Amino acid sequence: MENAITMKNVCKDFKILNRHEGLKGSIRDLFSRDYKTISAVKDVSLEIKKGEIIGYLGPNGAGKSTTIKMMTGVLEPTSGEIMVNGLVPYKERTKNSERIGVVFGQRSQLWWSLPLIESFKLLRDIYLVPKKDYEDMLELYRSLVDIEPILHKPVRQMSLGQRTLSDILAAFLHNPAIVFLDEPTIGLDVSMKSKIRDLIKGLNQQKGTTVILTTHDMGDVDALCKRIVIIDEGKKIYDNDIEHLKSYFGSYRTLRIRHADDTWEERVIDESKEDVMDVILKKQKEQKIKDIQLQEISTEEVIKKIYEGSSAAKGNSSVVTSDEKKGAAEQ
Amino acid sequence: MNLRRHIALTRAGIMESLQYRLGTAVTLFANLIYLVLVYFLWRAIYDSAGTDVVNGMTFTDTMIYLILATALFNFLEMFVVWDMSRSIQSGKIILDLLKPMKFRSYTFWSYSGSHVVLFTLTFIPTFIVVMIVTHGAIPMGINLLYFVVATVLALIVNFSMEMIVATICLYTESTWGINIVKETIVLLLSGASIPLAFFPETFRKIVGFLPFRAVYDIPLTILLEKNGSDTLEGLLPMFGLQLAWCIILTVTGVLFWNHSVRKITVNGG
Repeated sequence: MENAITMKNVCKDFKILNRHEGLKGSIRDLFSRDYKTISAVKDVSLEIKKGEIIGYLGPNGAGKSTTIKMMTGVLEPTSGEIMVNGLVPYKERTKNSERIGVVFGQRSQLWWSLPLIESFKLLRDIYLVPKKDYEDMLELYRSLVDIEPILHKPVRQMSLGQRTLSDILAAFLHNPAIVFLDEPTIGLDVSMKSKIRDLIKGLNQQKGTTVILTTHDMGDVDALCKRIVIIDEGKKIYDNDIEHLKSYFGSYRTLRIRHADDTWEERVIDESKEDVMDVILKKQKEQKIKDIQLQEISTEEVIKKIYEGSSAAKGNSSVVTSDEKKGAAEQ
Repeated sequence: MNLRRHIALTRAGIMESLQYRLGTAVTLFANLIYLVLVYFLWRAIYDSAGTDVVNGMTFTDTMIYLILATALFNFLEMFVVWDMSRSIQSGKIILDLLKPMKFRSYTFWSYSGSHVVLFTLTFIPTFIVVMIVTHGAIPMGINLLYFVVATVLALIVNFSMEMIVATICLYTESTWGINIVKETIVLLLSGASIPLAFFPETFRKIVGFLPFRAVYDIPLTILLEKNGSDTLEGLLPMFGLQLAWCIILTVTGVLFWNHSVRKITVNGG
């Protein structure tokens, strides 16, 4: 199948002014030519197939937004190649925008004081969507979510959840090949989150839209993504299926032990290093155990381990490259 | 060129402006206070001059000119610089850059709706009031058509100046000072606050070639049929000046913008 997005050895450096401390420093900065270069993205290669939902993860400041901005054409890579829908995004930003949709966190692209339906009509005309396609799309929206209550409501009167929902619908309206969702469920309640996940999944299945999803909510990842890419400090550190992620890093399990005084003790066990039964037996020798629970590790904990692992490995430079990880995961 | 996008943006702009009825009413009220001030100021100037005609303009001429200039100002006033700096700070500008239209054209047409509304709600009523009160001091004829053309050109010149200042703000990040300087210069040199006839001879000649005049002075001069604008020989240089500045400022603005956006895409924003 054809690739929706191809990135080859993409790097992005920023030049920023070295700021000095204090009043004197601030005055010096006015005339300073002392720049330092920061690498936000280092040698990232990535292939995303049409119709995939990719979870693009990483701790804060890892370079996720920078990558997305390069994919949308707002930023130009310092080196490397990017192709999106067969276009080089920064060279043909306007043309590229016709075939992508974006939702950026809490910024809304809707017209604040107008009812949602007017924003839809406006976007329909701006993207030159044929009337028939537009009607079909609205019909599809109706089948996926209950849009009637919000359709005629001015955007400024909406709750955060309704607005996010509206923004996602607006991003899909012109049936783009790729939609970028940057933390779409941030700040939403549980039921709204699940509504939005169902909507994204539905649209992806019905329209075959490629979805790039950045999030810190592992619930989103579990519900939507088959494949995840993790980036930290500008480097790609994981790129594979979510199942592999669990089976490779997830030789971890959580053991909960209830003591005689009814308190629970929790322990994450690395099964490659120690046996669960050994731990239980050892504990039992020390004190009386009333009950035990064994839990599979959650995606959230796996991701936490990866983030922590990659920053701990910085010191001894023994970071596992993504290829090695992939290899190990595939075995 | 497909006009569907542009019409849709104008339409949305009209609907958005109509949401702010109270704002329009307050603007009209503020104008009234400003005009009372202008009236007494110029009354005093004419009284102390001792003659009925100062610099070739009677008191009535001056008042008509200034009232219409104020009305025109309300209608031409744009907030591109403010809006742009806000959207840069909030990062919303990315969403505007990712519309399938040239950013400049997207911005222009987004504002067009509010111009239509303000022209109808502030300029036309003021114009009618002035017309009735002065009993035909404003000529009614082909000059009205010329005036509309001149106003559209003025709008483009004004927009281009706004865009250039807004682009400068991409670099400075603080817009307040720059915008105040720009507004003061425009108001003074365009004839919006003092008719250009009152400027010293040499100064007036220099100002006559600058783009600011194209925004307020030329449309008003044409409307009031002053300075020989009722003849073709008088009219052509004025349209010529407007058109020339339209082209110069648009080309400069587009080049400057493209260069700056490229710089942002390279260095990040």
